[in-house]
Amino acid sequence: MSAPLASDVPLLRAEGLTRSFTGRGGLFRRSRPVVAVRGVNVTLQRGEALGVVGESGCGKSTLGRLLLHLMPPTEGRVLFEGEDLATLSGAARRGLRRRMQMVFQDPYGSLDPRRSIGAQIADGLLIHGLADAAGAERQAAALLRQVGLEASHATRLPHEFSGGQRQRIAIARALATKPDFIVADEPVSALDVSIQAQIVNLLADLRQELGLALLFISHDLHVVRHLCDRVMVMYLGRVVEEGPASAIFHSPSHPYTRALLAATPSMHHRAKVAPLPGEVPSVANPPSGCVFRTRCPAARPACAEAMPPLETHPNRPERQIACWRAAEIEP
Amino acid sequence: MRRDKLRRLALPASLLGAILLLALAAPVLPLGNPVSQDINHRLAGISAGHWLGQDEYGRDVLTRLIWGARVSLSVAVSATVIATIVGTLLGILGGYFRGMVEIGTVRMAEIVLCFPPMLLALLVVTLLGPGAGTLIFTLAILFTPTFARVAYAETLSVRALDYVTAQEALGARSGRILLRTLLPNIAPPLIVQFSLTIAAAMLLESGLSFLGLGVVPPDPSWGLMIRGARTTMEQAPLLLLWPCLALTGTVLVLNLFCDRLRNALDPGTGGRSRPGFLRRLAVLAGAAEQPAAVPGLLAVRKLTLEVQGPTGPVPVVRDVNITVAPGETLAVVGESGSGKTLTGLAVMGLLPAAVRVTAGQILYTGRDGRTRDLLRLPERALRALRGRDLSMVFQDPASSLNPLLRIDAHLGEALRAHGQRQGIAARVVELLRNVGLPDPESRARSYPHELSGGQRQRVMIAAAIANHPRLLLADEPTTALDVTVQAQILDLLAGLKRSEEGMGMVFVTHNLAVVAEIADRVAVMYAGEVVEEGPVAEVFAAPRHPYTAALIASTPEGDAERLTSIPGRVPQAWAMPEGCRFAPRCEHARAICDQSAPALESPAPGRTTRCLRWKELA
Amino acid sequence: MLAYAARRLLVSLALVWVVATLVFMVIHIIPGDPAELLLAQGGVAPDPWLVTDLREKLGLDQPLMTQYWTYLGGLAQGNFGYSLLDDHSVADEIALRLPRTLELVGAAALIALLFGLPLGVLAALRAGEALDRLLSSLAALALSVPVFVVGTLIILVLAQNLRLVPAGGYIAFATDPLRHLGLLLMPAITIAVGLGAVVLRVTRGSVLEVLERDHVRAAQARGVSVAAIIRRHVVRNALTPVVTVVALHLGALLGGTVLVEFVFNWPGVSGYLVRSVESRDYPEVMGIVLVISSIFVLLNFLVDLLYAVIDPRVRHG
Ligand SMILES: Nc1ncnc2c1ncn2[C@@H]1O[C@H](COP(=O)(O)OP(=O)(O)O)[C@@H](O)[C@H]1O
Ligand code: SF4
Ligand code: SF4
Ligand SMILES: [Mg+2]
Repeated sequence: MSAPLASDVPLLRAEGLTRSFTGRGGLFRRSRPVVAVRGVNVTLQRGEALGVVGESGCGKSTLGRLLLHLMPPTEGRVLFEGEDLATLSGAARRGLRRRMQMVFQDPYGSLDPRRSIGAQIADGLLIHGLADAAGAERQAAALLRQVGLEASHATRLPHEFSGGQRQRIAIARALATKPDFIVADEPVSALDVSIQAQIVNLLADLRQELGLALLFISHDLHVVRHLCDRVMVMYLGRVVEEGPASAIFHSPSHPYTRALLAATPSMHHRAKVAPLPGEVPSVANPPSGCVFRTRCPAARPACAEAMPPLETHPNRPERQIACWRAAEIEP
Repeated sequence: MRRDKLRRLALPASLLGAILLLALAAPVLPLGNPVSQDINHRLAGISAGHWLGQDEYGRDVLTRLIWGARVSLSVAVSATVIATIVGTLLGILGGYFRGMVEIGTVRMAEIVLCFPPMLLALLVVTLLGPGAGTLIFTLAILFTPTFARVAYAETLSVRALDYVTAQEALGARSGRILLRTLLPNIAPPLIVQFSLTIAAAMLLESGLSFLGLGVVPPDPSWGLMIRGARTTMEQAPLLLLWPCLALTGTVLVLNLFCDRLRNALDPGTGGRSRPGFLRRLAVLAGAAEQPAAVPGLLAVRKLTLEVQGPTGPVPVVRDVNITVAPGETLAVVGESGSGKTLTGLAVMGLLPAAVRVTAGQILYTGRDGRTRDLLRLPERALRALRGRDLSMVFQDPASSLNPLLRIDAHLGEALRAHGQRQGIAARVVELLRNVGLPDPESRARSYPHELSGGQRQRVMIAAAIANHPRLLLADEPTTALDVTVQAQILDLLAGLKRSEEGMGMVFVTHNLAVVAEIADRVAVMYAGEVVEEGPVAEVFAAPRHPYTAALIASTPEGDAERLTSIPGRVPQAWAMPEGCRFAPRCEHARAICDQSAPALESPAPGRTTRCLRWKELA
Repeated sequence: MLAYAARRLLVSLALVWVVATLVFMVIHIIPGDPAELLLAQGGVAPDPWLVTDLREKLGLDQPLMTQYWTYLGGLAQGNFGYSLLDDHSVADEIALRLPRTLELVGAAALIALLFGLPLGVLAALRAGEALDRLLSSLAALALSVPVFVVGTLIILVLAQNLRLVPAGGYIAFATDPLRHLGLLLMPAITIAVGLGAVVLRVTRGSVLEVLERDHVRAAQARGVSVAAIIRRHVVRNALTPVVTVVALHLGALLGGTVLVEFVFNWPGVSGYLVRSVESRDYPEVMGIVLVISSIFVLLNFLVDLLYAVIDPRVRHG
């Protein structure tokens, strides 16, 4: 196998990712598998920010964890600089972890309550042998300053910090090993608006400074629009629309993306369209055909026959869309 | 709080220490031989040489009591130590690796739990014969599964936490994660279990010895001593008393130690006190009836609420004024912890026990046109208003419905509580239909878990409007829901505002866009104070308080390249700035802002602000 | 509901089989020759002739699998083997004594729940007040007194000193119902003291916890009366943990009968067990342990059903 040139392979590439969970059915009960993510392809270039949006339970977090190989996919593969994470040896995969990191949603659950934040930031450096104890301590202090905290905070325990400060600490921990790629799973959803803005700005700055590639998961479309180059809209484990963030927010194509944007309240105008009926169906029991058809205002009987594939939009070549009626809806 | 808990731990800890010390020091204490007999003085009473008398073989009771402690404790402690180590290991491995490992560790150990402990012990004793070794072996086997279970359950819950995943994401090996991250975090319940198990082991040991199947005579053991004294209890009842006291006392001290240790380790269970709604009296003293009717529906005046802080009472809501007119929707907006929910609960008279009302009025003008102060209304009278005049919808629809009761039971009790007796079933279905629940007849007979989040919130709203309330308080009713469902619920509430004539609404939220969507007027809260109030359109177009302005600017909308953020964070309730509470984060702060707390001023008719510099900034 | 019950029953039956197998295995797992072990007296090597005899009697000379099948086959026909001492059928003896033990356990559980539940609710509703402190302290004390100490002290004070009650014994219900119940009361109370304290404490904690839940506050917001809230929204919801803890203590309860039957001369199956252990009559011990453990497993099955009755979420699985 000849190693491809680093420059022409994308930083991260996922092909046909599918992940199902078999519930704990117990001894005498079989439960049908829940497919949380189905057939998702992702390509991420160096320094690119990709947003993933969708309502809760649509598979955003699962996708994030699959990309980092924190759980193995049921089908499909993840290539990091062309290397299949699944076929790597455990040691080699652990080595690669230096280059891909994660920031979590809950700032209260993502830090070990019993260890000083300095030690937790230094963990990655020590695990990968990037520094000795003294060097790791120095670097932890520098990282704290970089995320807007003070170096003297290093000896404190997490409970002494507010939610926003903890999220900064979690970001510092993710940055310690100088990764190329970070998955941020709803990192601002648990924070107040004024703090949200702080963290979003911090992430934007760091991305520019360090050339990080970012997978930014959020259910808040406005935040994604601010931070991301491209966006993927998910519904029931599938990607239904993908393309440049500003274009999609400006003129969404897929009926679901449209409904999502219309439902997002705005300070500047009151909602004009009737809200989408019903709620996201159970992942364990998705509708036949197009997964969105039970709520889709544009649905036709034909939509019940098969799930439309994610294809280049007939009229907007920079976008991908999964809808049988894409061309009719948007001539 | 924490220091208090540790102080409460001191007494049982020192008693326990004394017992352990006594048992350890038995060989060096000036005691006789615990097994040397003196048949001539059997059952002799208390004497100078024998402080607690002599037993049926003339042995010194005090000596045997102290040596007995040594035997009982060493058996119990050794067995518990073995069980702790083995059980914890099995539990952690099973909980961390799951799958086959779990079956091989935890599930295997749990088979022991199919047997009542005493019986399994007797089975082993039959085979191995009695003795201290058999006891330790048996007790260790008996208690291992308990530790495995506790360690397993704790590992499972800790393992699901993000900081463990974060370690995996950092590339740490399993061994490092188990040792450095999991073990320290599951230790507290195991420590409690450790001391509990010592007590349980002592009970089992003494029980077996009492049956003559544990410690072998003539070795002293409390159980054996009770067994011996029973045969002579008619002549020397005191002989029975001493070992009983020793055994009960030691177990009591151990149990007490566990209780207090658990309290000290767990921040949650400490200050549970009686909940507020069991109270009979009004929140504040004084007459509730107001001499003159106040126009409007609700007027909260100078409301101040306090909680007990680390160094004394701290006001969490201070000097809050809001008014709602019939048919009007007031949005209360602010960051978490700014006092929105407490203000709403104060109106309903549902404040948690820890929160005290110290001043203010909540004036409610009822259907009869009379105005009453809800803070001074006796609980009975207030209860008659709840659910009929004043209703509330809460943030989390999942936990706000009783999981054990059907939907119709929830709605029915709202109707029955206010005197309706007939046609309840039909009215329930009608209500469910009004809130847009599909198939209301069968939904009425469902349990809450069979409904989705949005449907549950519809049910909560149906219960709230069951008696045509005059004021509906909605506390972040859409925060737990997805945006598309949020849009539906906002739509529903707007529709209800039209159909329930004259109903006023207080809508609590942290989302400014939702405010724009639903409200007529808005009250902005910051750090327990209302800093600005006025009509939504005016406030959003021309805020008269720097906090409102900053909040609007930091809302991620529009095409600005960069979000405006408010630096710093909300101050802690017990460390509020002296002057303006927003001063440390305000870009317009001047020296005067740190000195005097701004008073409420009116920049325009129907608007208020709490800023010293609003005129200059306007 | 039925599917749930059937599933739990299958699990329980499987567990009974596991218990039976384990009881059979214990003698083989423990290192050393079982026959020699059973005959050993304080380190003195037993007579080899006796060892061979015992081995034959217990069937230990057969291959392991043969022994296991014979054993299971016997169990299926209700045959628990024969006493080593007097060749009595173990099953007959158990059949005679088991009802007495179950009666004792049932009476004790009834007393414990009758007092523990209401007092626990009361203590929670008066949390922090004098009554709560008194009840909680009494419960803490009751939890710490070993059951045989309670029994012995009851006999010492009530029977010996005050001569209020007989010191123990048994009279068949058919012979004299009143005296039967009188004799049942003391041992039942003895067992109930500890269990009642457990119930009280768990109920108190559970009620306090439920009182703070959102749905209780929501019921208040609907204007429901205090009594109705406590009945419908608090006590019922507080029961699940109580059931769990009572189930966990069932083992201690069944084990506790061993000591109490001994103290009060109650001729149940547990007192019989003590005699068998003393004389190291292995078939008897095996039979009794097997029967009581199986009852234990089946009681846990009933507890599972109780969960489903209380909580619809369990019912709907
Ligand atoms: N460990 C798991 N076991 C079973 N189901 C899971 C697990 N993790 C996620 N799921 C299911 O997969 C679906 C997608 O979950 P998730 O990726 O967390 O969604 P999101 O991040 O969009 O909220 C959900 O329905 C969830 O119930
Ligand atoms: S395929 Fe049909 S149902 Fe699916 S989104 Fe397109 S129009 Fe709607
Ligand atoms: S009073 Fe001063 S610090 Fe406070 S909001 Fe006004 S300008 Fe800012
Ligand atoms: Mg998620």
